[in-house]
Amino acid sequence: MKKEFFITRYDVKAENSFALDDNIMVKDGLTTGGSKMLHNFVSPLQATVVEKLLDAGMELAGKTKLDEFTAPGIAAETCDILSGAVGAVSEGACKIALCNDVSGKIRRQAPENGLYYIHPTYGTVSRFGLIPTVSSMDQIGIVCKNIDDGFNALGIITGHDEKDVTTFPQKSYAYTPKEGGFKIGIPSNVMELTDEKGRKAIYNFTGKYDTEETELKYFEVFAQVMYILSSAEIGNNTSRYDGVKFGYRTENYTGLNDLYTKTRTEGFGLDMKLLSIMGAHVLSRQNYEAYYLKSMKIRRLIKEHAIDLFSRYDAIALPLKLNDPDPYKNSALYAFATLCGLPSVSVPLGSDGGIQLISQVKNENSLFGICKGGR
Amino acid sequence: MEYEIVMGLEVHVELATKSKLFCACAAKFGAEANENVCPACAGMPGMLPVINKRAVELGIVAGLVTNCEITRTISFDKKNYFYPDLPTGYQITQLYAPICRNGFVDIETEAGNKRIRIKQIHIEEDAGKLVHDYRPDSSLVDFNRASVPLIEIVSEPDFRSSDEVVAYLEKLRSLLTFADVSDCKMQEGSMRCDVNISVRKVGSDILGTRTEIKNMNSLKAIARAIEFESQRHISALETGCEELVQETRRWDDNKGETYSMRDKEDATDYRYFPNPEILPVHISDEWISEIKDSLPELAHEKYDRLTGCYGLSDYDSKLITSGKNISDIFDRTLEFVDNPKEVANWIIGDLASIAREENKSYDEIEIDCEKFGKIIKMVENKVINRTIGKKVLQLLFRDNIDPESYVRENKLGMITDAGYLENVIKEVLAENEKSVLEYKAGNQKVISFFVGRIMRKTQGKADPGSVNSILRRELNDWN
Repeated sequence: MKKEFFITRYDVKAENSFALDDNIMVKDGLTTGGSKMLHNFVSPLQATVVEKLLDAGMELAGKTKLDEFTAPGIAAETCDILSGAVGAVSEGACKIALCNDVSGKIRRQAPENGLYYIHPTYGTVSRFGLIPTVSSMDQIGIVCKNIDDGFNALGIITGHDEKDVTTFPQKSYAYTPKEGGFKIGIPSNVMELTDEKGRKAIYNFTGKYDTEETELKYFEVFAQVMYILSSAEIGNNTSRYDGVKFGYRTENYTGLNDLYTKTRTEGFGLDMKLLSIMGAHVLSRQNYEAYYLKSMKIRRLIKEHAIDLFSRYDAIALPLKLNDPDPYKNSALYAFATLCGLPSVSVPLGSDGGIQLISQVKNENSLFGICKGGR
Repeated sequence: MEYEIVMGLEVHVELATKSKLFCACAAKFGAEANENVCPACAGMPGMLPVINKRAVELGIVAGLVTNCEITRTISFDKKNYFYPDLPTGYQITQLYAPICRNGFVDIETEAGNKRIRIKQIHIEEDAGKLVHDYRPDSSLVDFNRASVPLIEIVSEPDFRSSDEVVAYLEKLRSLLTFADVSDCKMQEGSMRCDVNISVRKVGSDILGTRTEIKNMNSLKAIARAIEFESQRHISALETGCEELVQETRRWDDNKGETYSMRDKEDATDYRYFPNPEILPVHISDEWISEIKDSLPELAHEKYDRLTGCYGLSDYDSKLITSGKNISDIFDRTLEFVDNPKEVANWIIGDLASIAREENKSYDEIEIDCEKFGKIIKMVENKVINRTIGKKVLQLLFRDNIDPESYVRENKLGMITDAGYLENVIKEVLAENEKSVLEYKAGNQKVISFFVGRIMRKTQGKADPGSVNSILRRELNDWN
């Protein structure tokens, strides 16, 4: 049986088409964010990325399925469902797919399905028209089969947008071999937690480059920091879904509090409820300092560490999975790029599975170059 | 036992920007429900806040006129709570780096001069408005006001009487309206004041239980609310029949009392955190000095100009600078009539009394200053007399008529023809012989009676100067 990856699908030729996760808005079209909360929500606006791709002559293939508000799920079942964006590109329904990968699920699933995922620097692509998940980490990225197609498309959607103040000017991307060759750091503290296959993928890929063992500091708290900060922002960003103005509203209620409680109980899935509760907890008066503020401080330390690492390496290589299958622990592998707003590319490596390459802010070209095998 | 009232104020003022704080919607008052609403200020996902630079500028102005330190890098935070008039479920405000800190405002009351310290001023967005009495079974929400920029001016607990509170609010209003920060209309909600109040025995330095009073929409209501609430505190302390709790209370202007909102205000946890969608704004020295240089003339500066350059009296100058609107009328009329004393006389003597007759406050006066100036000129040039001038002004006030054509069409031009006036005066004297005899007997008061009769016969158009001299001559010649 063929699996359906689309929520809405248009009859266009795949060669020059793009799909969007259903949290990116197409004017006057349904945009559900993957949530019952927005089951009937018609976009009042056109996302900047959509405008740019249509202007460049690409066609919209459809809207793909995603986890509810693309939130980093804790419930095990959501982690195993194949992302609609990955599925759609993988089955050849479109050339590229756009999504917002906060959790790392797409960065893991793309290479496992023979695809690249380009997660650009925070602020590269306008988020105007993207339903927000974690505002300090949200970034639209690209699933593609061919890395040139991916960077081509990124060149189209990149650049400053006055409707998103975090965006910066950027024109296009090009790979050039680096004089003296790219230098890649391999964090041994992460490799120790990786299985044989994952280690093999990294060593095979980086074999032809100048590599060095290094340490990815604070790795043991990445997942905690990531979940504390993202739950706070998710809870806040989704508090607008209350049944008052648009989207889902419960049928029977008595009074305001009942309207809120029933609407949100019925409208959100388990992950969203867990994250909202956790978000309220970490921001509450008595916990703010111990959880939220502490995490922000650690986030700053991690960013400082990133600056130090990338003064020595063009990229850091990380595996796609840890030895331990626990999805929460595995999210640490993706939290580095997400927390620091760093660009990363997930690289498919056939029977070796795949790896992640992460670089310094705005240094997508090095990642492009390494993917193209340039030295 | 003698008690002392201790109060601190939180004053919300809507900034006079054309658009809202984070979107391009109009920020004006009085539109149809939900007319000025876009996906962003209706709380729909997918729009990102873009800060209105003018709002930051007005925040800086507010800080400058209240002697505050301006924070050089300001940031915005999110304050979380659920309420239907708050479309996103959070309010964007400033908790960690408010735009202004440590200022003061000097006030004057009958008790003397006093300095009120300002703790901070921060910028935030307003919420929408619920309408409860439109339908019996549900409430409606109007988002026109949602995301309109506000500043909240937080004072230190420096107030000891309602007189001080009123003087402070009047001073703030003068400073902020003259600086074009806000129109500060309490009845339209563009200036709102919450009072934090407690009482303690005189001499004690421990603060009593504090309550917050909201929902007063006039200075009078504020004074009454303070009076009621402080008495409630005192009698609670004296009699012990009521336990004071820290809470928020609403003022009911009809009943003249406060009542508990019972929303456990102090148990509310707003879960503040820095807003990652708005980058911190850096305020440079250059920006501040640019704003300083372009500050409009404030009331006290204008007072100095009026008394100094124009030689107006203290009373006249105070009245003209008592409000932004009347002071603007003065300056704009001055553009057409280069005679400050005359313009001041017309405003204080005539315009103000017409406004009172029409039940309008000085702030509500709307008048075409060019036409106003024409009336003054016509009187100055003896085209019409002053009485007619005042009548024409009244019509200008009510119906915005064109003074010159009105005077022409209704033949209101001043009668200066001495021969004609002499005849009229002789007629009046002949008709009122008894009064003439009273005059002859030394009663000067009858002069005004005669003038009234003469004016009536000339439909008020006679030149008062000529009437006066001819009348006296005729009276003296009478035999």
